[in-house]
Amino acid sequence: MSIREKGYHHWDGTFLEPMRPWRPIARLGIRLAFRRKFFKFAFSLSFLPAFVFLAGIYLSERLQDFRGIIKQDSLPLDVQPVYFLRYLTADFLMFMTVIVLVFCAAGLVADDLKHNALQLYFARPLAKRDYVLGKAAVAAFFVLLLTLVPGWILVLFDLVFSGSLALLRDHPLLPLSILLYSALAAAFFASYSLLLSSLSRNRRTASLLIFGVYVFSDVLSEVLRGVFRSPGFGLLSVKNNLKQVASALFAVKPSLDAPWVYSALILAAGAALGAWVLHRKIREVAVIR
Amino acid sequence: MRAAGRVAVFFLGLGGRSKRTKAFFVLSLVPLLLAVLIRLRPVLSPSPRGFSSVFYYSNVVLPVYVQFLVLMIALFYGTAIVMEEVEGRTLSYLLARPLPRPSLILGKFAASAALGLLMMNVGLLASFLVLRFERAGDPAEWLTVLRDMAVLDLSLLCYLALFTFLGTFVKRAVFFGLLFCFGWENVVAYFPGLTQKLAIAHYVKSLIPQPPGQAFSFLQLRLEPSPPLLSVLVLAGLTAVFLAAALVVFSRKEYVSAD
Amino acid sequence: MTPVLQTFKLSKWYGNILGLSEVSLEVRPGVTGLLGPNGAGKSTLMKLLTGQLKPSLGRVRVSGQSVWNNPGLFRKIGYCPEHDSFYEDTTGRQFLWGLMRLHGFTAAESARRTEAALALVDLVEDKDRLIRGYSRGMRQRLKVAQALGHDPDILILDEPLSGLDPLGKRKIIGLIKNFRAGNKTVLVSSHVLPEVEALTRDIVLIHQGKILAAGDIHGIRDLIDAHPHVVALKCDRPRDLAARLVREPYVLKVQVGAEGLLTLETGNRDVFFGRLPSLIVELDLEVEEISSPDDNLQAVFDYLVGR
Repeated sequence: MSIREKGYHHWDGTFLEPMRPWRPIARLGIRLAFRRKFFKFAFSLSFLPAFVFLAGIYLSERLQDFRGIIKQDSLPLDVQPVYFLRYLTADFLMFMTVIVLVFCAAGLVADDLKHNALQLYFARPLAKRDYVLGKAAVAAFFVLLLTLVPGWILVLFDLVFSGSLALLRDHPLLPLSILLYSALAAAFFASYSLLLSSLSRNRRTASLLIFGVYVFSDVLSEVLRGVFRSPGFGLLSVKNNLKQVASALFAVKPSLDAPWVYSALILAAGAALGAWVLHRKIREVAVIR
Repeated sequence: MRAAGRVAVFFLGLGGRSKRTKAFFVLSLVPLLLAVLIRLRPVLSPSPRGFSSVFYYSNVVLPVYVQFLVLMIALFYGTAIVMEEVEGRTLSYLLARPLPRPSLILGKFAASAALGLLMMNVGLLASFLVLRFERAGDPAEWLTVLRDMAVLDLSLLCYLALFTFLGTFVKRAVFFGLLFCFGWENVVAYFPGLTQKLAIAHYVKSLIPQPPGQAFSFLQLRLEPSPPLLSVLVLAGLTAVFLAAALVVFSRKEYVSAD
Repeated sequence: MTPVLQTFKLSKWYGNILGLSEVSLEVRPGVTGLLGPNGAGKSTLMKLLTGQLKPSLGRVRVSGQSVWNNPGLFRKIGYCPEHDSFYEDTTGRQFLWGLMRLHGFTAAESARRTEAALALVDLVEDKDRLIRGYSRGMRQRLKVAQALGHDPDILILDEPLSGLDPLGKRKIIGLIKNFRAGNKTVLVSSHVLPEVEALTRDIVLIHQGKILAAGDIHGIRDLIDAHPHVVALKCDRPRDLAARLVREPYVLKVQVGAEGLLTLETGNRDVFFGRLPSLIVELDLEVEEISSPDDNLQAVFDYLVGR
């Protein structure tokens, strides 16, 4: 019996339906996050600042009712863009965002590396960008839920409580500022958490990295700022960089005496580093034609 | 005890070779880098703050160790003592040896403590030498650094014991550890009276002299310190209690890996 | 012979999932095969026998002693777990040496035992490579080596041949067979029937957490009276033989195939084989081959598991 050569043919056709393979990856990641014990608790706790700021909006419209308890000038309840900026860049919100990422994002790549699941992913018609996009979408989803959604809801409630569109008339770009900052935060935190998740096969290590880098960058920046009295050292902090860019987006004077462009560049560099590390760590199947 | 010693030697060898130990060693030397920068600040900064190196040692370097590095090292190594074996499914190799179960915990604790103490003490000592080397001949300075090393060591052991205990029965030990260290212990510092005494950090900070002035106050937050002897006894007692609890839990609990 | 491993109405639950149900078992010196499909409870039983898990109900005894929290027993137990996990940043030699030291052997003795164990499983050449770089077969052999290194009296091996190539399997099967000399005890689990058949005739069949049967393969087969035995014959005149056999009361079914093959089903194998030689002589047949296709573990397994 002769052995006939059987050549392999690569299928070069087009799919009938548009392929968005990152979506099932994102959906699975989000579902798995909610299945984790205590995640719902941590996630719910993250909405605490939103409720506090919502109460503040209510109070600001009903100050006359509380005149007996609150002196008008003792509370900064002027609902302007800076109010929404304060919500979005609140230390507690950022801290809880990182805690949420510890839950939902630490294992995104680490678990796949540990269980050699990348081979399973790339045995499907899946490109590396779809894999990364799907994983990033998980982190971005939760960050947007904590920033964009409450941000817009606060605007909505202000319009409702005030009974007028004054806020939007005076600051028409406010919703756009909220959207842009939320998108920036989501993109940065997604890249940040994927980068750190890909550095280890151990989810616990990745969790500690995600938390530790955030906290330590802040500590280090404050220490160096204190030692050298140079505001530039403030840019070592992840939190400060986000605040700087947020201030620029809301047309508010930033807290650090450093150009916001530097912060934007640092955040972009961080995201680029994340993309580069992921590109090296995630090896898809090579198709030889 | 001999069994625990064998376990300790085994894991000291494993831990010493691992990448994460090397990474933590590097991290533990960051305060040394800060110390070097501080010493070079007259060169690097046009208008350096008028504080002495001694001031920076007490207000910056030591608090960075006590409030951050000790916690991270203890959290990582402590939770890893049991969870790493369960998640890595290597626990069966250890349980199939003629070793009493408590000796596994004690041995791993000893190995983790040895690595952590080495990291902390080397870093602190090096930072001290950099910042206070002009007074290196003064025995009082050495007493200071020895005191500080002892405080670091005791706090590391206490946190390590706590997280070891947490790791024996809680799957999300890292999460609870982070909430405890950076949530509860920070928040409780704002509470007056006895509430402060519900934090390990309170007793640790009670052993470190409160520096004058409010510079770097974000690193220094302590009100109403407890007496030093009481603080030492509480920390040592908590270490023993947490470790004993970890031994009891580990001896009785079965660990099912997620197959 | 007194049993070395004993369980008394042993049951184990994982939450709502039943792992084992009232398993009463006695394993004596020699090699015993624990056979069952995936999820049958083999690994659960082995983990209970090695003190990794606590029984929910019932008792486990090894050499008459309870195994839970009894570290002294492990001087004479060697356990090879099913899962493929190691301290990846160590070499094979460091891994084995460390485990030998945990047994309490001196450094020199541990080194000697390590070399011996590595030689037994043909890992001497790769002993100084990181385990991370080992192939699947090498990792499996290393697992067997760590179970043998301290020269135990009792070996409990959970799927020891998994991932091995045919040569590797032959080597390990030889090791296990050699091990049983000197009144030693081996309990080896597998779901691959030929592997168990190659190791032993004493088997325990487990399915859905219950023991279906225990004993000699043939003995178990003989007990399955409800299922007729199948016999295959190859001769020069199968139709003549078939015509004759059809008249016999203990023959239930006869089928003539191509190339002289005759297959029959009989309700009484002993009577059939007692009668067969006289039939062959009477008909003056030339018989090339006689076999019992279902006188093996596969058939026993299929019948009992009910596939």
